[in-house]
Amino acid sequence: MGIHVIKMPDVGEGIAECEVVAWRVQPGDAVKEDQILADVMTDKATVEIPSPVHGTVMALGGKVGESLAVGAELVRLEIEGAGNFKGDAAKPAAASAGASAPAADEPADVPHGFVPEPQRVAAGAASVSAAPSAEGVRDPGAPAARHPAPASSGSGASSRAIFRDANEKPLAAPAVRKRAWDMGIELQYVGGSGAAGRITHADLDNFIAGRQRGHSAQSGADSRYAELQGEEAVPLIGLRRKIAEKMQLSKRQIPHFTYVEEVDVTELEALRTQLNARYGAERGKLTLLPLLMRAVVLAIRKFPEVNARFDDQAGIVTRYQPVHLGIATQTDAGLMVPVIRNAEARDPWSSAKEIVRLAEAARTGKAARDELSGSTITITSLGPLGGIVSTPVINHPEVAIVGVNRILERPVVRNGGLVPRKLMNLSSSFDHRVIDGMVAAEFIQTVRGYLESPATLFVE
Amino acid sequence: MRDIEKEPVAAEDAAAEKTTPMTMIQALRSAMDVMMERDSNVVVYGQDVGYFGGVFRVTDGLQAKYGKHRAFDAPISEGGIVGTAVGMAAYGLRPVVEIQFADYFYPATDQIVSEAARLRYRSAGDFTSPLTIRMPCGGGIYGGQTHSQSPEAFFTHVCGLRTVMPSNPYDAKGLLIASIENDDPVIFLEPKRLYNGPFDGHHDRPVVSWSKHDLGKVPEGYYTVPLDKAAIFRPGADLTVLTYGTMVWVSEAAANETGIDAEIIDLRTLWPLDLDTIVESVKKTGRCVVVHEATKTSGFGAELAALVQEHCFYHLEAPIERVAGWDTPYPHAQEWAYFPGPDRVGAAFKRAMEA
Repeated sequence: MGIHVIKMPDVGEGIAECEVVAWRVQPGDAVKEDQILADVMTDKATVEIPSPVHGTVMALGGKVGESLAVGAELVRLEIEGAGNFKGDAAKPAAASAGASAPAADEPADVPHGFVPEPQRVAAGAASVSAAPSAEGVRDPGAPAARHPAPASSGSGASSRAIFRDANEKPLAAPAVRKRAWDMGIELQYVGGSGAAGRITHADLDNFIAGRQRGHSAQSGADSRYAELQGEEAVPLIGLRRKIAEKMQLSKRQIPHFTYVEEVDVTELEALRTQLNARYGAERGKLTLLPLLMRAVVLAIRKFPEVNARFDDQAGIVTRYQPVHLGIATQTDAGLMVPVIRNAEARDPWSSAKEIVRLAEAARTGKAARDELSGSTITITSLGPLGGIVSTPVINHPEVAIVGVNRILERPVVRNGGLVPRKLMNLSSSFDHRVIDGMVAAEFIQTVRGYLESPATLFVE
Repeated sequence: MRDIEKEPVAAEDAAAEKTTPMTMIQALRSAMDVMMERDSNVVVYGQDVGYFGGVFRVTDGLQAKYGKHRAFDAPISEGGIVGTAVGMAAYGLRPVVEIQFADYFYPATDQIVSEAARLRYRSAGDFTSPLTIRMPCGGGIYGGQTHSQSPEAFFTHVCGLRTVMPSNPYDAKGLLIASIENDDPVIFLEPKRLYNGPFDGHHDRPVVSWSKHDLGKVPEGYYTVPLDKAAIFRPGADLTVLTYGTMVWVSEAAANETGIDAEIIDLRTLWPLDLDTIVESVKKTGRCVVVHEATKTSGFGAELAALVQEHCFYHLEAPIERVAGWDTPYPHAQEWAYFPGPDRVGAAFKRAMEA
């Protein structure tokens, strides 16, 4: 037997440390080659670390949320044959507290097939006796614990109330239903913390306790008006912490100037409909976003100062010829910004395909590191949830972000009469240290010009 | 006519107190020996049962001891074997016949269902069929589809039959004596994998002998085990296991290997069923796993699950789990994929606990 130490690998260029966001194994687990040991996170990408060998986990190199330097011990395995570790085997790794052998689960060393005498309790009469009675004598020492004690109750029911729709049926084991029925409690109003939202005995206990505490005179058994208890501390780990740090940095350092303008996208939408009708089948459907990207690219030719990154320590604004367009994207893990590289070199359909590909990669955690960094300006859009106005936070160290609000058909006065037009606001923020309000306004007006006369997007 | 409400005979024999290590084969033979000695109406016959002593040697020595008129061979005709036994029983004998493998009972179905099981009803109680039909059953012996079946559900479905399946030598002898004495026709199923030792489903481990086991200590003389009482094989608090035959031992192994404190109920007699013991246990644990070797669909486990549902519904904390053979013929090549071993049983225990 030997010890094999797996070190934190270098998962991307220039990364000094990675944060452990999840352990997939625990001390004592047997692992196979290629089995995933941990998820670690760099600036924006989450990487799965597989095991190079078969073995048994002896110790983990840290806790979830901890950052480990590249080359630091990640996992220590016990393996068949010689390991790669020659040092002091007794020296525990950082988080070896849980490394004790899982002895509790092992059955006692009982001879195979042997049942100790007291384990067999005849339910009927012991018929060896001289006069077997038909009745039989039940074991008077039968287990005493009669009240329901589900195994799941140990994990503790959530104190979080779950509000069920009026026509959504509550799920509960029959024993729970019976108890609730006997106590006159309608399960409809009891929160469920079990698997698939099932109501457990502990949920019922919580509900009863809450009712005894609460204003039962008014609310009766209705949890919709019950007093709530408890709180939940959610540690910021992984991507969420990165987002928090980035937002804080941006808001602390950059004096934001936000400018909102209304854009008439009636023509643009008409054009989009025509393009999709004619080319949608072969080239893919266009959304508004690739057209907006083109408008931004073209406007940047006139206002190169918005396509830049500002190093305020060095006092240098770097303006870029290529437009690397960040597209703020919501994923299950949180906000990510995949980057459309050289957006100036793409037609709308090419941009559309790249948006789809990158967004999917970001959502599934498959985006490469360089696909999630290096943008020079960012577009953020919440689509139909875009609202009327937003105050986008600049993607530091960039100097501008263009926010898209929702499209709404509104009455507009034209030639003394009312006409229905499709209107959309652009809410954009600029780093006011390096972008004056006038420049920002002219830039957005230029974008607006392209969008309102969409032929100019194609005919320059 | 025989008295239907006949009291069980008290064990007056001092030999009942003295125990000897026996295999299940020896215990069954001892039961027939004791009853042939006590009651000259008891006759034993079947294919190879007389001169040869049975393919599993269960009737070995009985012909030598009691003569060819009490222990004899029958032609290869299950219908004939059971049919003659029904006639003998109606006219006062107590036949104990052997169907060589339970897989072979099908030709006797009409005699069992239409004659033996109905005689008391049809004759308004004037006649009964006090016969016992022994059948080795179950798998785990590399016997394939024709030597491994567990047909108990065929019999529990027929009114008028008693269906018995012991899990150990002690019960086997006591239940067989009670069956011979009983005025109803009794289907006596013998899990042949348990003939020579308990079997926990780990086929790759050495065979354990009954001589090493308390339940292999069998009184030499007369005693009975009641035909309507289950045994709590292993008391427990977490969940109730309803099982019988070989699966009693497999369930015990699953409980030990998962660490789940299962209360294992060995039904012993499938019909009449000891519902009281079942209901009391499920009400206590709130969880129930049914385990049998026979195919799952319309198996006896379906009846057990239905009864538990009817009688314990509001005590249930989890869905009732069934572990059974797959709905296929008993395979030659994949015996241990078919056999519901401790892994499958243990997984069901866990599901029942996590639900």
